[in-house]
Amino acid sequence: MTQEALRAAEVRKVYRGRMGPAIEALRGVSLSLRRGERVALLGRNGAGKTTFLRIASTLLIPTSGTIHVFGLDVVDEPERVRPLIAVVPQEGKPFFHLTPREQVYAYLRARGIPRDAARTRTEEALGKMGLEEVGDRLSVTLSGGQKQRAMVATVMATESPLMFLDEPTIGLDPFARRAVWNVLRDLTRKGSTVLLTTHYLDEAEALSERLYIVEEGRILFEGTAENAKRQIGGTLRVSIENGGHQRDLFESFGHTVEEGDVLHVITGPERIHEIMDLALRNRLSATVGPVTLEEAFLTIVGRSIDAE
Amino acid sequence: MAFGLRWSGSGVFLATEIRVQLHEWLAIVTGTLTPGALIVFVAILAADLLPITLIGALVYSMFLIGQRVLNEAAYIRIDHKLNELYHASPLSPEGYFVGIAGGMLIAYLPPSLVVLGILELIHPLGPIAVLSLAVCLLAVWAVSSTIGYVVSTLFKDMKTIWPYSALLTNLFGILPPVFYPLGRVPIEWRSLVLVVPTSAAAAIVNAAAGLESIAPGEAVTAAIALAVEAAVLFGFGIFWARRTARER
Repeated sequence: MTQEALRAAEVRKVYRGRMGPAIEALRGVSLSLRRGERVALLGRNGAGKTTFLRIASTLLIPTSGTIHVFGLDVVDEPERVRPLIAVVPQEGKPFFHLTPREQVYAYLRARGIPRDAARTRTEEALGKMGLEEVGDRLSVTLSGGQKQRAMVATVMATESPLMFLDEPTIGLDPFARRAVWNVLRDLTRKGSTVLLTTHYLDEAEALSERLYIVEEGRILFEGTAENAKRQIGGTLRVSIENGGHQRDLFESFGHTVEEGDVLHVITGPERIHEIMDLALRNRLSATVGPVTLEEAFLTIVGRSIDAE
Repeated sequence: MAFGLRWSGSGVFLATEIRVQLHEWLAIVTGTLTPGALIVFVAILAADLLPITLIGALVYSMFLIGQRVLNEAAYIRIDHKLNELYHASPLSPEGYFVGIAGGMLIAYLPPSLVVLGILELIHPLGPIAVLSLAVCLLAVWAVSSTIGYVVSTLFKDMKTIWPYSALLTNLFGILPPVFYPLGRVPIEWRSLVLVVPTSAAAAIVNAAAGLESIAPGEAVTAAIALAVEAAVLFGFGIFWARRTARER
């Protein structure tokens, strides 16, 4: 098998609606994942993330372009690709009339994993996802977060070489989210590769080694979270209370974003004294903090929207 | 791997489906209500037709399994997205289709066995009739499961699907001579009802059980129609399962 877990080249997808106009969901996406990497696909709702994941996981046929998983073409050789992948579908739910223990075990067995290994992995997955206590309760009686954890446990227990997770931590509390992160880190340490989508940018930053930002079916950014933050012209954010109406004063210091009554200025450490001094002289209160991935994301996607 | 078919994992998936259905045992019981009510009416109003109605109840129940396939396949696809979990796995699309269809067959069989027991008490079947019944019911299952699975893939929400389920059940299970004798159908309609899988099955079994005589030509028409429909539709079901495992 190749060292690349996934390589996508110029993938396009046009949905031709029976009633409405055609929608171009992907407009030439090219990306790659090395073995053992954790990569996040970020984008607004409808940016094309799920479409890409569904094509890569053999569930959707692209209009053009190619995706290879461990060197195998997902369109021409789906039967050979499928044993190598596992998917947490967006908004997927476990069988309501199975217990999490039954669900995980049955899925592993359906994938051809021998009984003993399936039993061991089921217990491990339930343990790691904090589901031991509810492992024998029908899923219909579980909370939304527990159901989601059961779905993640089902897929993680496969230990597949390549896993696609479409918003795997949606609806999970911060503890459960961190449990998922730990399991994903464990899996990649063992050699699995993970491609996930998420709207939690702290999650993308904490978990992924690289990320892609997608907007309107195109890749806008590829690199690490640190690179993304650097791209927006500074590493620090100065937040100025009631600074919106004096935006002109601060625009020369760097990229500015208004959020309610607060004006955020993205700048470098060398200009902090200057900007704080100006804020104080104008009787404005200001705080300084590091730039977050969320700000980088908003700026990168925002620029693209402005350009359109 | 005849015709390139792959069945690995389908037995486990079938067992999963049975387990899911058994947790919903009330649905299994309530599935007997319509044929049960008809049996009671006929027992009161025309007791001599009871064996025909019992055979009709068996055929109807078997057709109803297809509607359960429709509802289950649609539910796990639309509401749970579990089809994606399984389609992006080594379980083949044909294994997924047959797993759902087979799971429904086995889970919903017990009520039919009760009906069969009552039939045996009222009108014991000879070996030929038993064989005809088994083959015909299997054919009806193949037809109805395929119809159910295919229809389940055509829509994007459960509410749209419900009327189709009721429509198909009435069109195939109640309207044609399934619960009543073929002889009550006007002669000009007979050739049509003999190619409807449910009424063809009922006519063949009724004839084999000595409950109603049909002309040899009619028996052959019914048998060929049922066999061809079962084989062609089930083959189409597998083709369709493979095709719809990947959206276009």
